[in-house]
Amino acid sequence: MNKTNLFFKRLIQQKTLAFMCIPFVIWAFVFKYLPLWGWTMVFQNYKPARSYSEQEWAGLKHFRILFEDNTFYRVLRNTLVMSTVQLVLGFVTAITLALLLNELKNIIFKRVVQTVSYLPHFISWVVASSIVLTVLSPDGIINLLLTKLHLLDKPELWMGKGNYFWGILGVTQVWKDVGWNTIIYLAAITSIDPSQYEAAEIDGANRFQRMFNITLPGLKPVIIILLIMNLGNILESGFEPQYLLGNGMNMDYSENLDIFVLKYGLGMGNFSLGTAAGIFKTVVSFIFLFSANHIAKRMGESRLF
Amino acid sequence: MFKGKILTAGLAVVLAATLASCSNGNNSSDSTTAPGNSASGSEDTSAVTYKYFSFGAPKKQVLASDTTIGKELQKQTSVDWNIEYLVGDGDTKAGVMIASGDYPDIIDSSNQMAKLMNAGAFIPLDDLIEKYGPNIKRVYGPYFDKFRQEDGKIYFFPYGANIGYVSEPNFQTGFYIQRSVLKEFNYPKITTLDEYFDLIKQYKEKHPQVDGKDTIGFATFAGEQGSFFALQNPAMHLAGYPNDGSTMVDMKTHEAKLVAGSDYQKRWIGKLNAANAEGLVDSESFTMNRDQYLAKLTSGRVLGYFSYSWQVGDATNNLKKAGSDDKRYVALPIVFDKDIKDQYIDPPGFVNNYGIGITVKAKDPVRIIKYFDNLLKEENQILVQWGIKDQSYSVDENGRFTYANDEQRQMHEDPEQSQKFGFDYFNYSWPRYGNNSVLEDGNAYGPGNQPEVASFGYTDGDKKLLAAYDAKTFSELFSNPDERPWSPAWSIALEQGSPEQMFITKADDLQRKYLPTMILDTPTNFNKDWDEYMGQFNKLNKKTYEDFITKAVQDRVAGKW
Repeated sequence: MNKTNLFFKRLIQQKTLAFMCIPFVIWAFVFKYLPLWGWTMVFQNYKPARSYSEQEWAGLKHFRILFEDNTFYRVLRNTLVMSTVQLVLGFVTAITLALLLNELKNIIFKRVVQTVSYLPHFISWVVASSIVLTVLSPDGIINLLLTKLHLLDKPELWMGKGNYFWGILGVTQVWKDVGWNTIIYLAAITSIDPSQYEAAEIDGANRFQRMFNITLPGLKPVIIILLIMNLGNILESGFEPQYLLGNGMNMDYSENLDIFVLKYGLGMGNFSLGTAAGIFKTVVSFIFLFSANHIAKRMGESRLF
Repeated sequence: MFKGKILTAGLAVVLAATLASCSNGNNSSDSTTAPGNSASGSEDTSAVTYKYFSFGAPKKQVLASDTTIGKELQKQTSVDWNIEYLVGDGDTKAGVMIASGDYPDIIDSSNQMAKLMNAGAFIPLDDLIEKYGPNIKRVYGPYFDKFRQEDGKIYFFPYGANIGYVSEPNFQTGFYIQRSVLKEFNYPKITTLDEYFDLIKQYKEKHPQVDGKDTIGFATFAGEQGSFFALQNPAMHLAGYPNDGSTMVDMKTHEAKLVAGSDYQKRWIGKLNAANAEGLVDSESFTMNRDQYLAKLTSGRVLGYFSYSWQVGDATNNLKKAGSDDKRYVALPIVFDKDIKDQYIDPPGFVNNYGIGITVKAKDPVRIIKYFDNLLKEENQILVQWGIKDQSYSVDENGRFTYANDEQRQMHEDPEQSQKFGFDYFNYSWPRYGNNSVLEDGNAYGPGNQPEVASFGYTDGDKKLLAAYDAKTFSELFSNPDERPWSPAWSIALEQGSPEQMFITKADDLQRKYLPTMILDTPTNFNKDWDEYMGQFNKLNKKTYEDFITKAVQDRVAGKW
C-alpha cells in the first residue's frame, strides 16, 4: 500500500476526529491566513476609501522609506535590546523563583509568596506605570531612600535619563510578571517523579545538588519549548509599558517598533508604511523561531515542530 | 453509532454557523448605504436608538435618554443615542475603525478628522441640508464656505458657528501664579517673564517649604505623549502671538514662521534653563503623567505653571471646592518685554478641521439630519446650554438669564450633576451655535459668557484679587485680541502622510528630546546644546512646512477656506 492510500485509510478511520478539527482549521484560516492578503497594501499607496482595484501600486517604495529612515534603526535596536533583556531576566527570575518556592516546606508561606508575586500581573499597565512613575519620581520612595542613606546627593530624575530606561523597564516587567511566569514551571516540577528525589536523598545529595541534578533537568523540556516560542516573539517587546513610561527625554531608548508603527503608520494614516514594518517584524520572528527550533532539533532536545 | 451521528450533526451545525457568520461579515462591509435613498425611514417617528461615538475628552458612556436634556430631545424626535467615548489611544481607535469599516451612526471626530475624511467615513450632507435643514442653514449658512471640502461638499458640522459675538469674562490661560505669591507682595503688577520668575524666586526664598515639602517654583506638563505643546507654545505667547499652533503669523505679510528653532524659542528655553539653575523649575515636568501633574497642582506646593484652562479644569475645580482662595491660581498675561501686547485670548475664528458627521454606516441619515436641525432651533440651543427655566437657570425682571441660587449653579458646575442633567453630553460636540454666540434676546449663548453668571460665582478671594487689579472680570487682565481673519492657523488641515505632516512629526520628536535636556543642563552648556539642537533641526525641511502654512493663511485671508 502506498503512502497516499495509507493517509486516506487513516483519515477514514479517524473521521470523527478529523471532522472535529474542521472548525478550528477554518478559524485559523480565516483569522490567521486571510489577513495575509492585507500584506498587499505594502506595495500600494493604500487609501482606505478606495476599493482594491482602485489602489495605486507603489512597488517597494514603503520598504525603501523604512530602511532609509534613521529612526527605524534606532527603534529596531531598542526593540531587540528590550526584548532580550525581558527574555533573559524573565527566564532567570521565573526559574529561580520556581526552584526556591519548590524547596519551601511551609505551605502557608509558600502560598503567600506566590500570591504576592503574581498579584501585579492582574493590574493593567496603565496603573502599573503610574506606580512606577510615582515610585521613581524626584520625591518618590527610591530617591528618598537613596538620599537618606547618602548614596545620592540630590534626587535623581530616573525617568529622564535614557540610559536607565532599559533597566527600569526590565525590573518593572519582572516585578509585574515573575509570579505569573513561575506557575508553569511549578506545574512542570510537580510532574517530576518523587522517587528520584528519594533516591538522591539516600545517596546523600544535598538540597542544591538535588536542585541542579533533578529539578533543573526535569524542567529542561519546558524551558526549551518556552524559549523557542519566546524567540519567535523576539521583536514583540511589548507596547504599553514603553508607551506609558516613555517621554521626550528617554525616547531615544524607549521607542520600539510598535510605537514607530503607531506613530508613522496608524498615526499618520500611512497604513502601507505600518504594514512594511509589520512584515519586517514577522520575517525576523520567523527566522528566529525556525533557527531556534532547528538548533533544538540538532541538539536532540524537545522542540516545537 | 447513533451517538456518533449526533456528534457529527452537531459539528456540522457549528461549522455551518461559522461559515455563515464569516460570509455575513463580508457582505455587510461591502454594502454602502446610499444617502437619502432610505425614504421609507424619513417620516418615521418610531422610537430608535442610534450610535454616537466621540474621539473627544473621555466621559462615561451613557444613553442620551438617561439625561434630562436627552430625554427632552427624545420626546421631540423619538430618537435616542447610545453615546460612547474614546477609551485609550485615538490614533489606534480611528485606524482600527477605518480598517474594519465598522462605523457608528455619527462620529465626533476631534483630532481624527483628517484620517476619517481620507477614508471616506462620512456622507456628503448638501442635499440633506437643502431638503431638511432650515435651521442648519440659518446657523451654519454664513460659514458653509469655510468647511466645504475640496470636492465642494459638506461632510460635517464644526462647533464654532458664532451668531453674534460676546467675549468670555473668565478667561484663564497662560502663566498661572499662586494667589498667595501675589498677596505676599501686595498684588504687584507683573507683565514680563523676568518679573514673573523673580517674584516666584522671592516667594520661594521666604517660604522654602509648604506643608513640610519643598516648594516648587515652576512646573509645566510636557511628559505625556501629546501634551508637549505646553512647553512649545509659551514661546509664541510670550512674543505676543495668539495660539496659532506650531507657527506665528505676521500681521502684515501673513507669513507663517515656525516657533521651533526661532529666537523666541531660544529665549524661552534659555530662561527656563537659567531658572532651573536657581532651583525654580520642577524637573519632573518632563516625565510625569497627567494624574501626577494635576495632583501636584492641587498640593499647594507649586507657585507657578503654564497651561491652558481646559487642561487643568479638574485641578482648578478641586482647588475651588477646597475653599482656600490663597492656594488657588490666577492666569496672567506674561510676555517677554514690557512693550509687547499680549494675545492670549483667541481672536474670533472658525475651527474647521473637526466636527460631527454622519457616517456611511448610518441607518437613516434623513432622521439624523432632522434631529440635528431640531437641535439647532433656538429653544433647544437654550436647553443644551442653560437647561430648563427655573430648574437650572432663572430669568430676572430685565429678561436676563442668570442663576438664582447655588443649586442652579451646581447643576452646571458640579461634574456629577452636569452629567446627570446632560450638559456634559450635549453642550458641545453636536451641531451648535459657536461658543461666543448671542441669543436673539441678547443673552449670552453660553452661561459662562453671561456677565451676571460670571460674577455670581466669584468668591470673596476672587473679588479681592480683581479689585486689587482694578478689573471686573478675569479676562480684563488680558488685552483684547486683534483681528486675524485666518485664525486659528492650527486648524489648517495637513494631508495624511504628506511631507508637511512628516516634517511636523519629526520636528516635534526632536523638540521632545532636546528641549527638556537643554533646560536641565547647566547654563554654561546652554549655547552649545542649542547649537546641537539647531544642527539637527536644520536637517529637516522646514521651508516646505512654512510655505504650506503661509499659503493656507493667505488663502484664508483672501476668503478661500
